Amino acid sequence: MLRQETRVPVWLPGTLSVASCIGLWVVATTFEFVGPARLPGPKDLWESFEQLMDPGYAGGTLPQQVWFSVRLVLAGFAVAIVTGVPLGILMGMSRRAEALINPAFLVIRPIPPLAWIPLAILWFGLGNGAKIFVIWFGAFVPALINTYTGVRSVDPGLIAAARVHGARPWHVLFEVVVPGALPLIFTGLRLALQASWTALVAAELVGAFYGLGRVLMTAARDIYPGMIAAAMICVALLGASMTYLLGLAEAKATPWRNR
Amino acid sequence: MSSIRFERISRTFRVGGQLVPALADIDLHVDEREFVAIVGPSGCGKTTLLRMAAGLDHPTSGRVLVGGRPVTGPGPDRAVVFQQFALFPWKTIRDNIGFGLKCTGVSRAQREPIVERYLKVMGLDGHGDAYPHQLSGGMQQRVALARSYALEPEVLLMDEPFGALDAQTRIDMQEELIRLSRVHPRTVLFITHSVDEAVYLADRVVAMDRRPGRVREIMDIAQIRRSEKWGELPVEEVMDLESFNHLRTRIWRLLRRGDGEASGHGVVDNPPLRTQPAQKTKLRRAQ
Amino acid sequence: MALATQHPGLRWLPYSLAGAAIFLAVWSLLPQAGIVPSALLPSPMAVGKTFFELTQEPFAGYTIQQHLLSSFIRFASGFGLAAAIGVPLGLLMGWYRWLDRAVAPIFETIRFIAPIAWLPFAVLWFGTGIGGPILIIFSGAFPACLINAYRGARLTQGFLIEAAETLGAKPRHIITEVVMPSALPSIVAGLRIGAGVGWQSLIGAELIVVSSGVGYLMVQGQGNLATEKVMAGMVAIGCVGVLIDVALRAAERHFRRFEQA
Repeated sequence: MLRQETRVPVWLPGTLSVASCIGLWVVATTFEFVGPARLPGPKDLWESFEQLMDPGYAGGTLPQQVWFSVRLVLAGFAVAIVTGVPLGILMGMSRRAEALINPAFLVIRPIPPLAWIPLAILWFGLGNGAKIFVIWFGAFVPALINTYTGVRSVDPGLIAAARVHGARPWHVLFEVVVPGALPLIFTGLRLALQASWTALVAAELVGAFYGLGRVLMTAARDIYPGMIAAAMICVALLGASMTYLLGLAEAKATPWRNR
Repeated sequence: MSSIRFERISRTFRVGGQLVPALADIDLHVDEREFVAIVGPSGCGKTTLLRMAAGLDHPTSGRVLVGGRPVTGPGPDRAVVFQQFALFPWKTIRDNIGFGLKCTGVSRAQREPIVERYLKVMGLDGHGDAYPHQLSGGMQQRVALARSYALEPEVLLMDEPFGALDAQTRIDMQEELIRLSRVHPRTVLFITHSVDEAVYLADRVVAMDRRPGRVREIMDIAQIRRSEKWGELPVEEVMDLESFNHLRTRIWRLLRRGDGEASGHGVVDNPPLRTQPAQKTKLRRAQ
Repeated sequence: MALATQHPGLRWLPYSLAGAAIFLAVWSLLPQAGIVPSALLPSPMAVGKTFFELTQEPFAGYTIQQHLLSSFIRFASGFGLAAAIGVPLGLLMGWYRWLDRAVAPIFETIRFIAPIAWLPFAVLWFGTGIGGPILIIFSGAFPACLINAYRGARLTQGFLIEAAETLGAKPRHIITEVVMPSALPSIVAGLRIGAGVGWQSLIGAELIVVSSGVGYLMVQGQGNLATEKVMAGMVAIGCVGVLIDVALRAAERHFRRFEQA
């Protein structure tokens, strides 16, 4: 829409900026403009990864820690979908249900998921229960709100059209309302997934026996920048790949949308 | 010096990897203080022609001269009135009218009387502090006209300015424009779909063909207008005149003949430039 | 969002009242009936009472107002920084393609790191006082500020820019008088999202490394097994969150006043 400068190839600015960032990092750490106690160099990073693979760090090797964290995210995320999406559909379809549930939701919603961590620890201890609870809570809110909005935004004309063609309420729900709301439901799930990872990392930072957050926290205590960076990269990569998978699922589930 | 001269203009657009000729070999000029209207079917490139004079588009070959100087970009010497009015929704009517003056460095104190004058000229008294959305379409287009006139440009470029108005408002605005051009004569290039509008308003009417856009015929109306004193009659009276009907039928015949050869194609009406109004989509975000 | 703003209408008010009553009744009765120990779930009354006490007597070093103030100062600095950098950068990226292309790959990569995961580096680089938490809030609020300013700029209607150009506007006029006001609603929406994420990231940071603030109060409450103090902290956090959102919503309405209802 706006300015179009066509002289420069499309890929050039991005490549240049990424290259210069990496270059700056390599130079700054190699010549120790920034000390190794503050920013790890490429070598530190590599060694940290090696150590994390074998013999491991903070109580486990990389695959163990990853599996531990991923399991928790998947569990919390799944519970959030199973609870948030149907509740969102219910509230979107029925004014009565909305009016009934809204007050409780309005009280709970402004409290950020991370603020539940101390309470979760009091209720469930430092084990998996507390983490799943916090992740569930973080993912539940966006899943519910977007599902609700999606259901509400379904064209009433479509519902009427289904009715005049003899559709039962059940059909209307599964053949019109849910597909119509699906794009927004997926938007909610993407946000929910993001929230899940944030909640997991925070919960594991506050207190955990295993997991990537635990690696991060231990590395912070040991003032081990290479390992901090390694753990951050793992968290980012896992988050990115799960978001990617969700995108694939969305494309499969909503083939009528052209992207 | 404010004539518009198109010299051997051609323009091709790239649409989906294909080169589509939009304009071919256009030679046209609009004399100083002359009112020229271009009519033609969708996709004949008439809007592109106007955009070139405005400096918002560039010919693939040939040149566009305004006041003898080649056009290099948009500027306040050539005011453009858009079909979508293009008023700034976040500015009051007064600020919309004064926008061009502000950009060209006219101080607030100097702007004010000019803005007030055009508010009055356009019959917008009392609406100065309103926002555009509070006005009707016809009123909004008056604001757009006032905004252009406030810069006192030598050249007015009007791209289907009344296309978005209802039929009655449209006629009112046509009369208004005739009145204005008597008081403040300008060089005008006027694009329209409506043959009646073109014949009623213009000194000369240019009929165009499409695929590629070419000038089919140019008709001189100025003489009849002057001798029959169209400017002093209401629109409906003019439209009832035999001369008017004769002219308009002739143009219709021309356009229909040209259309037969070109129909049945998917015509590129609005080439995909950066001009395409981006749909404002609501950001969907939770939390 | 519609959920919070939409009035279900008077017709549904009885249901809303019933819903609120059920919520409060379940919350109060569960501990009272001994189904859940009141040490784990104090009643709404108990939480209210504790909240009042916390405003009077210091806990974890300060009263709850002082904790809130210190949290809010951190929040305001971090959020202000994020907005001050994110919004202009987003607008410029919307305007200059090359800048968009240069920044996007780096931004998209870093965005995948959860803001709270910056905590170790934040502490290492800027300490636990105010610098570290500011970085955390910044990394939480920055993406939304930038993305929304960017989108707002990109969605500016092309013919408005052209109209400005034909009226003699120079690039600086176009940016300040066309692109910016057009992007403003989107920018404010971004600020609201960013403020939410930033506020929550700050709480996370305070739970872990800081020695004042509401988050710290809650951690201390948790350490003392004082559930009612933890819940009072949650109430305080929720209230400040709502206040921030209300303020930004008012700003949003203000900037949308020229739009059709």
